[in-house]
Amino acid sequence: MYVKRLLILVPLAVIVLLLQSYFWVPTFDNQAKGSDQRLFQFINGSIGDAQILNPILHSDASSSTITGLIFEGLIDRDRDLSFRGRLATSWRIYEEAYFTPRPGGASPDALRKRILSARTEKTAKWLKNIEKVEAIPPADDNISVFLPPKQGTRRRQRKQIKVSYPARLKITLKSVDQNLFARLKKLLGPEAIATDPAPYLPADLDESTRRAAREKVKLIEHNPVIIFSLRKGVLFHDGHEFDSGDVRFTYESIMNSKNLSPRIPDYEPIKKVETPDEFTFKVTYKRLYSPAFGTWAMGMLPEHLLNDKALEAEASRLGRDPATFTMRDSSFNRSPVGVGPFKFKEWRSDELIRLSRNSDYWEGPPEYAEYIYRVIPDPISQEVAFYAGTIDSYGAGTHQVNRLKKDKRFQVFSDLSFGYTYIGYNMRREPFKDPRVRKALGMAINTRQIHRFVLNGQAEDLTGPFVKQSDHYNRAVKPLPYDPKGAERLLHEAGWRKKNGRLTKNGEALSFQLLTNHGNVDRKAIAVVVQDAWKKIGVQARVDTVEWAVFIKKYIHELNFDAVILGWSLGLDPDLYQIWHSSQTNPGQLNFVGYKNPEADKLIVKIRQEYDHQKQVGYAHRLHRIIFEDQPYTFLYVGKWTALLDRKIARVQRLPGGRTRVKKITTTKTGNYFFDFNQWMKFPSTPRFES
Amino acid sequence: MLAYIIRTAFFKTITLLIISVISFLMIHLAPGEPSQIDPLNPRFQEEDLERYRAAFDLDKPLYQQYFLFYKKFVTGELKSFKDNQPVFGKIMERFMNSLPLFIVGTILTWCLAFPMGIGAAMHRGGWFDQSTTFLSYFLISIPGFFLAYILIIVVVDGINLPILGLRIPGLEIPVLGIRTFGREGAPILFRFNDRIWHLVLPSLLGAAGGIAFLSRYVRGQMIEVLDSDYVRTAHSKGLNQNTVYYIHALRNAALPFVTMFGLLLPGLIGGSVIIESIFAWPGMGRMAFEAVLTRDYPITICLNFMSAVLIVIGTFISDILYVIVDPRIRL
Repeated sequence: MYVKRLLILVPLAVIVLLLQSYFWVPTFDNQAKGSDQRLFQFINGSIGDAQILNPILHSDASSSTITGLIFEGLIDRDRDLSFRGRLATSWRIYEEAYFTPRPGGASPDALRKRILSARTEKTAKWLKNIEKVEAIPPADDNISVFLPPKQGTRRRQRKQIKVSYPARLKITLKSVDQNLFARLKKLLGPEAIATDPAPYLPADLDESTRRAAREKVKLIEHNPVIIFSLRKGVLFHDGHEFDSGDVRFTYESIMNSKNLSPRIPDYEPIKKVETPDEFTFKVTYKRLYSPAFGTWAMGMLPEHLLNDKALEAEASRLGRDPATFTMRDSSFNRSPVGVGPFKFKEWRSDELIRLSRNSDYWEGPPEYAEYIYRVIPDPISQEVAFYAGTIDSYGAGTHQVNRLKKDKRFQVFSDLSFGYTYIGYNMRREPFKDPRVRKALGMAINTRQIHRFVLNGQAEDLTGPFVKQSDHYNRAVKPLPYDPKGAERLLHEAGWRKKNGRLTKNGEALSFQLLTNHGNVDRKAIAVVVQDAWKKIGVQARVDTVEWAVFIKKYIHELNFDAVILGWSLGLDPDLYQIWHSSQTNPGQLNFVGYKNPEADKLIVKIRQEYDHQKQVGYAHRLHRIIFEDQPYTFLYVGKWTALLDRKIARVQRLPGGRTRVKKITTTKTGNYFFDFNQWMKFPSTPRFES
Repeated sequence: MLAYIIRTAFFKTITLLIISVISFLMIHLAPGEPSQIDPLNPRFQEEDLERYRAAFDLDKPLYQQYFLFYKKFVTGELKSFKDNQPVFGKIMERFMNSLPLFIVGTILTWCLAFPMGIGAAMHRGGWFDQSTTFLSYFLISIPGFFLAYILIIVVVDGINLPILGLRIPGLEIPVLGIRTFGREGAPILFRFNDRIWHLVLPSLLGAAGGIAFLSRYVRGQMIEVLDSDYVRTAHSKGLNQNTVYYIHALRNAALPFVTMFGLLLPGLIGGSVIIESIFAWPGMGRMAFEAVLTRDYPITICLNFMSAVLIVIGTFISDILYVIVDPRIRL
């Protein structure tokens, strides 16, 4: 009976082969079975794979984590979120300002003398800030303007226009001063500075071009300048020395439109970059834009591997047309070379990315021999892998935090996220035009209840638009109280009367649609809680969920909604122009709730133009309060994340004389526990700590 | 026969052309855009979005996009939006990962389902029949992902039911992925068996559903054949039981399965999205799933189209096989 025997023996043999393999696999207690390599590896679990390992091209969190280890920027943030030098050892920020004297008024030279004499005679701080005043000869400049698309096309037209500037005045300041011209006007009289650009434009422009060009001509100009001194002797992973040419190359690659870099908006305000010598990099900006400094944390690319010559060579090697072969096509993006603490070793798509220690790292080599980024698309699988000892850290879900916090096997880190969830009201529509209605709707919601029951206590109140741990967040602003009675009073004040338990005004009920995206369980639950809370004060909300892409395209971008539950994730920079400035309220822009407040506008612009941290914090606090008082959003919560780490991992400090000191892993001000990652080490069992 | 093959090939080519249009339109008409084009990114401006659309040919009319797409498809220049890698290289890499899972799963399914189904048919109404019936319906009705999670948790973390006072420690052993990490330096035998171990749970799970379904089917077919005259004749000749069941009856009962064998081919492409996702297995099914989520058009359309091709080829092979194994059938 061969058939029968075959049908039974084959699967039996397969099953025996499968099961015996159990005895060859390492377990949590014996991770070094067969090989002790595991102790020298840090394995990180991730939901998704990286997309492109190039710091100027990627736009996803996974790629950003990996490139952060392979590449390094000129600066980054230290434990207290202040900037510290990395590839730059130091820097200086100052300003060059230009203005055009009014035609027929005082000559540039006369103005120069007046400013200089004022500097010696008066004691005002801003005058002492002036380092140099020069008159510069007339010069031509090319500006490009965008005109609306021609009939039947989608692209806007671009036009080059020549501007002939007369002799101007150049003022060099020791530090950036956004109020310089306002003060100069007071000093020199309002008629000293030109305000009409017409005389400097070519005479033969048509009306629409002229209108566009007028806005582009700069009669006054702030040009902030940053000079970085670069670290000497830093080597790329292939042994090539890093210098200012690489910084310039990185900038030029971002701005090269062929590369489709998503970082262009960050670097667009740059007027020019210079490399006075091998280890000095100078960048001049077209206008005041304080977020620009933080962008130099961007990883630096090796010019010698990616310049035109290298790309051409690669294209011909692959038999591709060099004219269409760009940095995006280069194999560099899958085997990157940087100057960071880890070198790229291997990438198996959707499985792992392996990095190895850079023994020549300028700050001393990291302790781990390998860093492995492992892709596990499913959270439960990730948890299981963490218990089995095949990944070293795990981000706990809100429902697991209380249980896992007590587990002796793990160390626990927890802090607030950079971002928040809110209810946004379409302020173009009734009844949301009235701030009292928005405030009342906020007061009717018991946010504490949402934190506790929807988010398992892993959330906190917030009152304004900034990262809660940052200095810009105004702690003096107290959250809206939970006060349904007060809410009813406010609505009564606003003219809404209760009829059969429903609020009405001029015969219309207070009823609207509350929309959120499909697939986000928390937001859906919040929508129901909020609906119920509003019902209690007589407000009717219809809850609806829509698939993300449709939600954004058909509702948010077309401004076709009443109220939405959404979230923002933020960076540490306090620039909120896109989200809150009144110019950003058109369809497709991010101020989709239509928030317009002239004072807020002024502050938003001031914040993005202010280079002094303390002053910026002052403006931000004011802005925070204004937005809170207007309540364009009901700020619901800022989430708390919790991360677990194997207890066997600790921080090792190498002291002179070969001694070591084992310390507990500590965090930065925002809870980042990876800050000292280069000093981490895994011990065979939980180590004892020295204080 | 030859005429049949030529005729079929012609009609199937037309079918494929229609499928190529449908699979192209389906993804383009679905709302949303490739995830690289993120209109909600505060740093993106309209020009940036336009640049992306132009690079992906999305700014052209749909019919032009269609021709551009299939031109690239035919010349092998098609690249994923996600990482600019050639689509065929990516698919091949994933295919090689899915293959062992597919082979082990198929062997287990087909080799176990037959004895189980035949045994049940032989002892109709007996304890073996009843228990395999129960097991089959249990496995068919329980969702695969649920079973997978339960299995993983039991194997790794053990059984922990404080209410019943039950605490069985788990093996605390890695089960996810295609191999254990950090084993590159281990001796070859360790590494080989490590890969085998990682096949255990996913292939058993994959086979479980298949066995449950297929053994029911085998049982039904067998019962039908067992009632026929020639089987009764074989019995009355005094032939050995096993010879009657495994040689005489099985040959006729197995006919429908020949056609199913042809349909196995497309399973190679689809893989098992759920099992691959849960076990972090870098296979085809998971790639397809992620490509749909990120609107990676080239990968999605390619896989759609290729599985259509495989189905067409599969049914074609089935037809031919049918003729070969059953002389009664003429095309």
